[in-house]
Amino acid sequence: MKKNNIIYIIFAVVCGVFLSCSTEDLDPSLEQSKRSEEALNSVGDMEGLIKGAYNRLTSSGYYGRDYLVTNEVRTPNVFSNGNSGRFITQGEFGYLPSSTYIWDDAYGVIAIANILISRDISTLEGSEEDLAYARHIQGQAYAMRALAHFDLLLTYGQQYTSGDLGVPYITGFGTGDDFPSRESINSNVDNILADLQSAFDLMDEDFYDASKEFMSKYSAKALESRVALYFERWQDASDAAEAVIDSGIYSIVSADNYASSFMDDGGANSIFELAFSGTDNAGSNSLEFIYRGGTYGDIQVLENVLSIYDADDVRNDILGYEGDLLRNMGKYPDRASNVIVIRYEEVILNYAEAEFRLGNNAEALEFLNMVPEYRNAEQYSTVSEDNFLLERRKELIFEGQYYWDLLRNGRDIEVLNINQNITDPIEYGDYRLAYPIPLAEIDANSNITQNPGYGG
Amino acid sequence: MKKTLHGLLTLFMVLVVQLVFAQEKTVTGTVVDEEGLPLPGVNVIQKGSNNGVQTNFDGEYSINVPSGSILVFSYVGFAPQERSIGSSDTINVTLAVDAAALDEVVVMGYVAKRREDMTGSTVQIDSDQINQIPQATVDQALQGRVAGLQISSSSGTPGSTQDIRIRGISSLTAGNEPLYVIDGVPVINSNVGGNSSSSSLSALASLSNNDIESISVLKDASATAVYGARGANGVIVITTKSGKAGKTRISLNSYYGFSNNAIDGPQPLSGAQREMLLYESVLNTYGENYNLSTPEEAADFYFDQLGDGYGYQDWIDAGRPEANWGELVTNDDAPIQEHVVSATGGTDDYNFYTSFGYFEQEATVIGSTFDRVSGSLNFSKDLSESLEFSTSNTASHTFQDGILEGSAYFSSPHSAKYFTPPLNQPYNDDGTFNLGTALPNPLYISENDIDESKFTRILSNNSLTWHTPIQNLSLKSRASIDYQVYDYKRYRNRVTGDGSSTDGYGERTSRKTATYVFQNSLNYFNAFGNHNVDITVLQEYQEYRNNYLFAAGDSFVTDGLTNLASSGNPTSASASFSDWYISSYLATGSYNFDSKYVLNATYRREGNSRFSDDNRWGNFWAFGAAWNLHRESFLSDSEFVNNLKIRGSYGKTGNANIGINNYQVLFNYNADYAGTGASYPAGYGNPDLTWETSYTLDVGLDFGLLQNRLTGTLGYYDRRSEDLLFDVPLSFTTGFSSQYRNVGSMKNTGFEAELNIDAVRSNDFNFSFGGNVATVDNEVLEVAQDANGVDIPVTNNVAAGQRSTAGTMAYEWFMPTWAGVDPETGVDTYYTDETRSETTTDFGQADRVFQGASALPTLTAGVNIHVDFKGFFLDAQGYYAGGHKIYEAWHRYLNQPNLYVTGVYNGYTSLLDRWQQPGDQTRVARAVYGGQPWTYNSKFLFDGDYFRLRNVTFGYDLEPEIVENIGMSGARIFLRGTNLYTWVKDDNLVYDPEVDASGMTSIVTPPVQSFILGVNLNF
Repeated sequence: MKKNNIIYIIFAVVCGVFLSCSTEDLDPSLEQSKRSEEALNSVGDMEGLIKGAYNRLTSSGYYGRDYLVTNEVRTPNVFSNGNSGRFITQGEFGYLPSSTYIWDDAYGVIAIANILISRDISTLEGSEEDLAYARHIQGQAYAMRALAHFDLLLTYGQQYTSGDLGVPYITGFGTGDDFPSRESINSNVDNILADLQSAFDLMDEDFYDASKEFMSKYSAKALESRVALYFERWQDASDAAEAVIDSGIYSIVSADNYASSFMDDGGANSIFELAFSGTDNAGSNSLEFIYRGGTYGDIQVLENVLSIYDADDVRNDILGYEGDLLRNMGKYPDRASNVIVIRYEEVILNYAEAEFRLGNNAEALEFLNMVPEYRNAEQYSTVSEDNFLLERRKELIFEGQYYWDLLRNGRDIEVLNINQNITDPIEYGDYRLAYPIPLAEIDANSNITQNPGYGG
Repeated sequence: MKKTLHGLLTLFMVLVVQLVFAQEKTVTGTVVDEEGLPLPGVNVIQKGSNNGVQTNFDGEYSINVPSGSILVFSYVGFAPQERSIGSSDTINVTLAVDAAALDEVVVMGYVAKRREDMTGSTVQIDSDQINQIPQATVDQALQGRVAGLQISSSSGTPGSTQDIRIRGISSLTAGNEPLYVIDGVPVINSNVGGNSSSSSLSALASLSNNDIESISVLKDASATAVYGARGANGVIVITTKSGKAGKTRISLNSYYGFSNNAIDGPQPLSGAQREMLLYESVLNTYGENYNLSTPEEAADFYFDQLGDGYGYQDWIDAGRPEANWGELVTNDDAPIQEHVVSATGGTDDYNFYTSFGYFEQEATVIGSTFDRVSGSLNFSKDLSESLEFSTSNTASHTFQDGILEGSAYFSSPHSAKYFTPPLNQPYNDDGTFNLGTALPNPLYISENDIDESKFTRILSNNSLTWHTPIQNLSLKSRASIDYQVYDYKRYRNRVTGDGSSTDGYGERTSRKTATYVFQNSLNYFNAFGNHNVDITVLQEYQEYRNNYLFAAGDSFVTDGLTNLASSGNPTSASASFSDWYISSYLATGSYNFDSKYVLNATYRREGNSRFSDDNRWGNFWAFGAAWNLHRESFLSDSEFVNNLKIRGSYGKTGNANIGINNYQVLFNYNADYAGTGASYPAGYGNPDLTWETSYTLDVGLDFGLLQNRLTGTLGYYDRRSEDLLFDVPLSFTTGFSSQYRNVGSMKNTGFEAELNIDAVRSNDFNFSFGGNVATVDNEVLEVAQDANGVDIPVTNNVAAGQRSTAGTMAYEWFMPTWAGVDPETGVDTYYTDETRSETTTDFGQADRVFQGASALPTLTAGVNIHVDFKGFFLDAQGYYAGGHKIYEAWHRYLNQPNLYVTGVYNGYTSLLDRWQQPGDQTRVARAVYGGQPWTYNSKFLFDGDYFRLRNVTFGYDLEPEIVENIGMSGARIFLRGTNLYTWVKDDNLVYDPEVDASGMTSIVTPPVQSFILGVNLNF
């Protein structure tokens, strides 16, 4: 009898405990995430978040690989041998709207930048210096917002297909306007340049980052020189480049160090680069793995590239053979190598070209020749569009720039080698020079117009 | 004190009496049924003891008992009888069929019901259809057995998950998997696999088929509403075997057999065929511009101008050796075996069932095995007159040596079959592995790479029932735990394959999950004249906790040491904890009047941690009614109609099957940059998020005619799902791709029928056959809209084109329509739009259009036949699914005559039908030297209809006399074949038609065909 009594008591207790369950007892644990209202209260929180934006830039769908390689494989610099089935479609200009390409990553970066930009610094916890650093972070966010919109504009805008449409320029986060329309190219460019100016104004030289893995004050100017040059705002381009040059922070890498400079992170010529490491890299989706090796190694260099360099040019050292295959051996030598977004040599060439367009040929030639001078290459005797194109190709090859250089100069994509993924040239103005807006975007937002030529 | 003394005295008295009168005597007799036929296997037990025997095949028994004791005769389906031992030494008993007992009791999770009292459509499958099926997971036994249940295998790798859909799909973006309930407790049986690129592992693989008594499939709201928010996708109730009182019986169930792929699938091209296509492609692509006119000239051009980037010259120089990678990666006649020993017994106050089993299966591809060791102990005991304790416990350890599968992973043996060029030889001349193959040599990989899952699962389910002093009122408390320990190890060798570029790669995943369920319930039943009531009130609390640990590293120091301890560079470490909670209050009751009119009602209130405080609770309910016409006077004497019931039910169930924490606006911290941690916004969140609800109407007719020789059901259902947990696609400009909202609606309607015919019933010869058929008509009624009022369709895979929007089926195929290969030019053409009036060769200019079918079969059917003759028996069972379409994935690389096939990888022999000259009528375009982008189009969308002969069993039950002479109570030997025959409607569908719920063919182990030889021995 007693035993049973005890059991009844246990019974009653157990029942009682679990009958008394309430709504609050159902609150889930939150051990890996924070609620938004607790996530952005200090400058440390802001620093963590801007790193999240940098991290998004490093994704293999963006600067981690696809953005650079998709641009490169559409030029007569390289082709895809299809070894892992990658980049043939891009090389053939055969992309379809089913791909999101950089659209999602770029707007993902922009969303984070907007969260940071809209954060009222005055209500942050922290010292005066903390708040200054918070403003510096906001400056980086402006620069990042500009960079991402610029990449989107280049890729999806209609500037090379004789249209007017750019991309939606997003300046707020969670504003409720989730169905933006495409804006004009000019309006995009204005916004980008304005954001870069804000970035420059907000960033503080005291927080200069010697690792180059975070943007500093003059990173904004360097990017501005690129944007202005690409959109033919020559004076802007010249001024911005000049500001970088005058800062005296950066220098052209020497001939001796040229090849090795791609192995070392944070070189004197680097203005802004993205951090990759032995533990944080894109692995098999890295640039290294697509440019070399037998597992992927899809991207092979076209033979015509051999002929663009003088015999003594140190940039020959970038090229090499794996078996019979001509390869980019020097740039992105390791999956742990940082990826440079902009470097000083480009700024020099931006300045030179802007000066040339402004009619200051002497200044232009002097600066144009600075780069070959440090490469043991022959000097140019004149400035011309062709010479700028050639020097930029030589210097920035495999870095995803040549494609835009060809297009912004109104050039066709020519067929120079039988191995190229295209068999017929792509003429300037061809609809395929603007990437298709992703179908997923069009499905979700009927305010977005597709680029001409792409079916639904 | 006085009471205790009294008790002791009584006990003493009893002992004395026992001592005085306990004279043993032997009682013998025969037990027969009402027709005088002997009943073998009847339990004959001395009441209040564990002294018991069973009748033999002639219904005879012999037992030693004290005179004055009572014998209890019991047999399933018959009313038990008690007889006092008097002076006679012979007691012959005639057992009468127990009408109530004969009426099958269906286990429905929280409650069990007699068929007559049911108002919905629930199908129960019993152990004889479950045990000794040569498959690792018990759900595979359901295929073809339940009208409206569709099951497809995600992979033939043993232990892999199955996709189950009951009555179509209820949700677009929340889960569509049914809820599993084991012994009354909701459990989680999803994929436990540690890496999505490796083989999946179903948590169900931890259960031994032989420990399962029955599986019920609950389909309508009157049955599923008790599971409230998780009932909308149907419920699968698994009941494990419980003890059977009587003499301890020991069974040995064993089988051994072999498996091969059920379907050969596409065959890879030989090297010679591939070479021929290459030259032809060069001729087609460059012939005109470079004046090539013959394949020989094209060959020269290939070697001289194009540079032979694909290694043909070396192969030609070596004498064109052929390698068939399909054969190299196949594990022919993969062994499969299972051995289970079980015992059951007990007395009238306790019983037990215990088992120990071993299952082992090799995959039909190299490098993959599965085994399971399991034990169970189920025990029930009356602690006192009013207290009953019951526990069921299962512990098992499964091991799966998996492979990379599910996509074209280069190191997967399945990829090697089609992707490795036949030019590549597996071995070097000196017999060592050739490590220079285009894809890593799978023979080396299978020996040196590791994808191992170890899964331990302990299920313990304990209950205490108190039959209160109020008659027929009982109180039950249940506590159960489902503890799962999962360990996954991956290693990639340093020499070749995925780890070669980092000097090896290793990872380890450890996951421990515990699911606790506590239930308290009150049950009351009674009869007031002809009014019968049965009411259950229940409170339940479920808690899930998941502890996860992951680490990875590369730069291994040496070969052969594969643990992370030997990694020189730890690359990743992660640990996390997550949980969810569900709390519920439930009332369910049924009433019948004289078993003629049945009413039942259910209400459940449920709170779920997946929603915010304000939206956490939901109310679910159902009503059902049935009319047992055969109980009416006008039918009760009918010779023709034995059972006739009209039934109907309507109710509201829910679905909350989405990830945790979707309602909150969160920042995540599992990112890093430049060596330090980083954060990012996880999503918009949605504090308004709440239950997705389904309203299901179910009506039906159950019948049994001609002494129940003809039995069956007819039914119709209509399920409307509303406020869908819709992962609404967002403009990427928001920074996110989607946000969960309660929006949209969908309906599924269908007819279901089951029929079983006992054509011949006799002592020596029986013949029965039957089947089931079910339709599903699925339509999306409403989806989210954007600011302009334009529908936002939801897509499964933008490229592969499965799309749902108002008016379409859920995930209807949506892609350009192929218009054939132009006979003049040999290129693929596509219709520009749905009018099909114009064609284009530019894929980008072809509109995507709905293709009128989804991956969900609209018609499924099962058939079964049983014959037995003098101990021999034959069972056959088949499954049909149709009305759906299946897409052939990977055609871009394997089934289009381009450079991927002729240069980089390999392709199918179907490509030999390519267009060659003007006038050729063929499905295959002309060969080209170059890659091609993904062009998802209807050319590769095939009718999915197939019929599969699922099981054929031929066996023999040994003559009772022989069996008894060797000390056994039963012996059976059988030969069983699985997936013996497959019919596929569409000749162009070469892959196995049984693909996972996505409807895409996949690079996985196909379903297998097996033959096993088995025995059941009962002692």
